[in-house]
Amino acid sequence: MEVSLTAGAIGKIMSGEVTSENDMMPVLQVTDLKHVKAHQNPTSERFRMVLSDGTHLHQGMLGADLNNLVKDGSLQSGSIIRLTHFVGSIVQQRRIVIVMVLEVIKVKFDIIGNPVPIKPSDQRGTDSGIKLNTTGSEQQGRGESSGVRQVINTETGRSNAAISPQVVQRQVFGTGSSVPASTPSSTRAYSNPSAGHGAPRQDYARDPPTTYPRQPTYQPQPPPPMYANRGPVARNEAPPRIIPINGLSPYSGRWTIKARVTNKAELREYSNPRGQGKVFSFDLLDADGGEIRVTCFNAVADQFYDQIVVGNLYLVSRGSLRPAQKNFNHLPNDYEITLDNASTIQQCYEEDAGIIPHHQFHFRTVGDIESMETNSIIDVIGIVSSISTTVAIMKKNGTETQKRSLQLKDMSGRSVEVTMWGNFCNAEGQRLQNICDSGGFPVLAVKAGRISEFNGKAVSTIGSSKLFIDPDFVEALKLKDWFEREGKSVPCISISREFSGSARVDVRKTISQIKDEKLGTSEKPDWITVSATIIYMKFDNFCYTACPIMNGDRLCSKKVTSNGDGTWRCEKCDKNVDECDYRYILQLQIQDHTDITWVTAFQEAGEEIMGMSAKDLYHVKYVNEEEEKFESIIRKVAFTKYILKLKVKEETYGDEQRVKATVVKVDKLNYSSDTKTILDAMDKLRNRDASSLPIKREGSHHTVEVVNTSIGSAGTRDPSSVERRDFGLHAHQSRQHGNQYSNGGSGPHGGGATSCNVCGNSGHVSANCPSVNEPQGQYRGTSGSYGGGLPRQHVGSY
Amino acid sequence: MDTSSPSAFVNGALLRRYIGQKVRTVIQVIGSDTGSVVGKSTDDLQIVVRGPSPTPPLTTYLEVIGIAESDNSIRAETWTNFGNTFDPQNYNELCKLANGEFKHLFI
Repeated sequence: MEVSLTAGAIGKIMSGEVTSENDMMPVLQVTDLKHVKAHQNPTSERFRMVLSDGTHLHQGMLGADLNNLVKDGSLQSGSIIRLTHFVGSIVQQRRIVIVMVLEVIKVKFDIIGNPVPIKPSDQRGTDSGIKLNTTGSEQQGRGESSGVRQVINTETGRSNAAISPQVVQRQVFGTGSSVPASTPSSTRAYSNPSAGHGAPRQDYARDPPTTYPRQPTYQPQPPPPMYANRGPVARNEAPPRIIPINGLSPYSGRWTIKARVTNKAELREYSNPRGQGKVFSFDLLDADGGEIRVTCFNAVADQFYDQIVVGNLYLVSRGSLRPAQKNFNHLPNDYEITLDNASTIQQCYEEDAGIIPHHQFHFRTVGDIESMETNSIIDVIGIVSSISTTVAIMKKNGTETQKRSLQLKDMSGRSVEVTMWGNFCNAEGQRLQNICDSGGFPVLAVKAGRISEFNGKAVSTIGSSKLFIDPDFVEALKLKDWFEREGKSVPCISISREFSGSARVDVRKTISQIKDEKLGTSEKPDWITVSATIIYMKFDNFCYTACPIMNGDRLCSKKVTSNGDGTWRCEKCDKNVDECDYRYILQLQIQDHTDITWVTAFQEAGEEIMGMSAKDLYHVKYVNEEEEKFESIIRKVAFTKYILKLKVKEETYGDEQRVKATVVKVDKLNYSSDTKTILDAMDKLRNRDASSLPIKREGSHHTVEVVNTSIGSAGTRDPSSVERRDFGLHAHQSRQHGNQYSNGGSGPHGGGATSCNVCGNSGHVSANCPSVNEPQGQYRGTSGSYGGGLPRQHVGSY
Repeated sequence: MDTSSPSAFVNGALLRRYIGQKVRTVIQVIGSDTGSVVGKSTDDLQIVVRGPSPTPPLTTYLEVIGIAESDNSIRAETWTNFGNTFDPQNYNELCKLANGEFKHLFI
């Protein structure tokens, strides 16, 4: 059935044209029905409803007699009603439609049209958190509306245009006021001079009655300042209307904000062509999360400087707003406030709005930083994984300053270098250093840090940055939690350096991963670290004759060819030399519990592995021809376990592509720390997989160092508890061989034979070797020569 | 090696689970007198090891393999010097894992 609402009824009621049913009996729709308690009589129930004429909404109260209609459902949101006995009266400054008798035309109906609340003059600014109650707003409204009204009245002669922006703006600022207020007289004032205007005003979703003058645009200039100070109502002593910071604009007229000081800058003196002056600024944060900077100059600065204390709540009013200087002001606000003599700052003690936080952050993850623009200002929070000491740096203008850098890690798996300048180095920097030295990993939150770029991205502090150590935020707790669980061992890729630089830092892989992940096949070589044992070494051509000529800093080292007469010729240097260098070029086979591969070790690594210079070894073999000695040396090399840093790269040999690995660095395996790494890896794995994966046994296909290493989930080849097992086996073996090992723990060589060195078979270790008894004797004899290394029978073949 | 009587890796807390059974553990020697050695287990509990004295010199860390007599004493059959540098935490973790999550890998 067609229902038509009485168009314009709301407007007429609002304007007072229609005050009771004698004028008309409008058909309206109830768009909202709310249950309220009347203030005077708390026990009585009243229902408040929002009535719509299809275009506008208005508040109404349901007469108590009609309560039962709501209760039994005949009147509900969406119902179409005709007001048969009502009055549109002014209740506490607002016009409310009080309905005594109504006729329900339709109980259920869809909301007709798109009605918007009518917005007459004043808007009650809302305090966030303070639910607008009618009395409260009334009081505020009263003062204000009277002001407006009078203002309007006195200015009736003037162009409305001047007034309206101010008034108009006020409306805008109230956010979400559920009770649009209407001051009938002001409306009237409007309607009179502007009777000619008919067009409804387009505004921020608040349509005033059609009688409002049309506002083409906001006047670009703010209302004349003297306006605010003049006129009889300017001195209204009503409690200030607090508006959210985000609602401030240069057209705000008189405003008050209630906010907490988050930052206070020092009183600074300056001199510019206009003379000298002093300035100080402070940042405010309000309950909505809006932030703004407030600046005071000269006398005003003196006046307020001592009054402002960081962390306190203040009511600030009557400052002027201007566009923010984004260079210096990094708060998320387009404006900043400048206070003048007329401004007032009043400290607020009530913590009712205790929801005004002390600080507000817009944290970004370290991963985001990578993609953000240089020189942008961000907040970031993370775990400090390392910190270095302060260094003094010369600035461009010749002065010295302090610099301190630290690495910040977070859940995105990235770490970034954070540089502190100046005072931060000593204050927060020292504190952080202390925590880190004692083994802790503090959480650091940086507010207003700038992204800088040099070799990747980094974050630096600026004058207005603030650092918070182990703060009490939710994010901090989450970070700490993540770190405890897995962060410690996650290899964080640092975005602060080139990829090759940092990825080199202990990206632990297993040998099988080289093949699986196709390392080295991308454009750049991959740098990885493996912990593996040298199985075999090719002992022909373990070195080559190299050119000893220095080219600047570096040795030429190119292969020299023999001229037959004892001299050597280098092609590159184009010279003959009498004595050539011998440089290692070791082809080694290394193996870990997953796979086996060939690597090449050059001079430096070679020396480390062999324990002697290439030249000496050459002599041993070829010159002195001490085969036995040579062999023993070679044997020593085999089955020593190292941490090897490899550079893996795919190279083209003729027709085929081969992935070649070069040993860049060799380190002895420190069992203790390695074990810890593995334990951490296990923990990480365990947490990540949350015990849902079955623990699979890796078979003994691999010539595994230890029987049944199957830690880890199916298929993954994390460096499992191999070394740990070794540890245990060490014990076995130690026991076997008597007290040969004086230290079972710290890095002896030959931990854990890859295959049983007793019988030479694979798949088990000497401890479990079936052919138990015989070889003990021989091993005792030979094992003495290595510092605890387990000897290996075969060197050449495998 | 004789695998007929395997010994379980224990630390101080786990010892009580294997009373009467063969266990092995590493202790840090605190004191020794005739017939027994008092040591600190890797989880900081005190363990007394009785039995034939280990051949001196004793290093700081000692591995004992023997039968657990009570929840804090072992009757040792074999002693092994583990040296002066040893990481008890790692060993402790091993004991925990060997008796917990990865029990099936061990005995």
